[in-house]
Amino acid sequence: MTVVIGFEGSANKIGVGIVRDGEVLSNPRRTYITPPGQGFLPSETARHHRSVILTVLKEALEEAGLKPADVDCVAYTKGPGMGAPLVTVALVARTVAQLWGKPLLGVNHCIGHIEMGRLITQANNPTVLYVSGGNTQVIAYSERRYRIFGETIDIAVGNCLDRFARVIKISNDPSPGYNIEQMAKKGTQYVELPYTVKGMDVSFSGILSYIEETLFSMLVEITERAMAHCSSQEVLIVGGVGCNLRLQEMMGVMCKERGAKLFATDESFCIDNGAMIAQAGWEMFRSGQTTELSDSWITQRYRTDEVEVTWRD
Amino acid sequence: MAAPCTENNHKQGKLEFVLDVPFPSSREASIALQSLSPDREPRKGGISKELTVSGCTLSVRWRADEARILRVSVGSFMDHLSLVMETMEAFGPPVSVTTQTVSSTMT
Repeated sequence: MTVVIGFEGSANKIGVGIVRDGEVLSNPRRTYITPPGQGFLPSETARHHRSVILTVLKEALEEAGLKPADVDCVAYTKGPGMGAPLVTVALVARTVAQLWGKPLLGVNHCIGHIEMGRLITQANNPTVLYVSGGNTQVIAYSERRYRIFGETIDIAVGNCLDRFARVIKISNDPSPGYNIEQMAKKGTQYVELPYTVKGMDVSFSGILSYIEETLFSMLVEITERAMAHCSSQEVLIVGGVGCNLRLQEMMGVMCKERGAKLFATDESFCIDNGAMIAQAGWEMFRSGQTTELSDSWITQRYRTDEVEVTWRD
Repeated sequence: MAAPCTENNHKQGKLEFVLDVPFPSSREASIALQSLSPDREPRKGGISKELTVSGCTLSVRWRADEARILRVSVGSFMDHLSLVMETMEAFGPPVSVTTQTVSSTMT
């Protein structure tokens, strides 16, 4: 039996989650929400995380009904993400790991999303579309690496949607993307705008008046291209933008045409959370990895394909 | 406290700041050191800090070219230090271990 606690706070969500052999025992989370028209800045976000992290940690242990002695490993987000929030969370993880005498594990945030997606959906070996405020990548697993097949050449799709929401002052509660989706449901007029796919990659910057249709069509196209290259019959969507039902619907249509299966998770797991870091940590720990304290520095840049995926064949 | 260079400091024009933080035990001072030292300074040049533990005291020594850069780094460190101390308060005391290592690191 292996119990891993995971700490996540690379953007405006701070979460602590506990996983035991494929079971999520607890996954509390808080979101730093700014007023309409404002994005979240690193120092304020770090301040928010700092003010709640110990409370969330206590909640995670209480909800799971566990004591620190029951934990086998402490996992935290090494990167990628915003520097100041990453440091805040890493400090607590390093400290409790030492207080409790447990090994530490630095986890790649993107791989956290992938491993939680795989756990929850039980997809076998899917082509992964990872879409969030900070990341847009199409990923396929091959020979111990999560290979990046295609990605944004400028900003993430979620960032594009968030900045659009800011311009027209949509509320950030619970998230700008959610509120765009609700408004889009009532939309009747499709506006044709430039569609920027370059081979395997996409571009979103400079065109902040996009509506969902165009952005999501671009993502479906590059996912399909990656599937064709890998002869894949499964798609898994992870990341906060993956909550969007229209994206899931459009991806579903493409999958149906190819006879492929679509997997997606609900908002507790699509959106950044602590348990996903715990789950990736669980896989890494079980395959023999730990992180030395002196190597536990956080990093704002951390590509998904930098990690050796020792837990898959 | 911050002081301009003296004959003791061979780098002309460098500011120094020294902070000594007492802990209830040398183990806890070490834990704080290990938590606070891995991350690099966000700013590449113009500032360095060294963390050491001696007995129950964590000592931090900064060297910086400009007062503004020094202030930002020290301010950040104080926030980080107080978070580490709050965490130790909430989840300590540390479990007993058979060996203790005390080390100094440069960032």
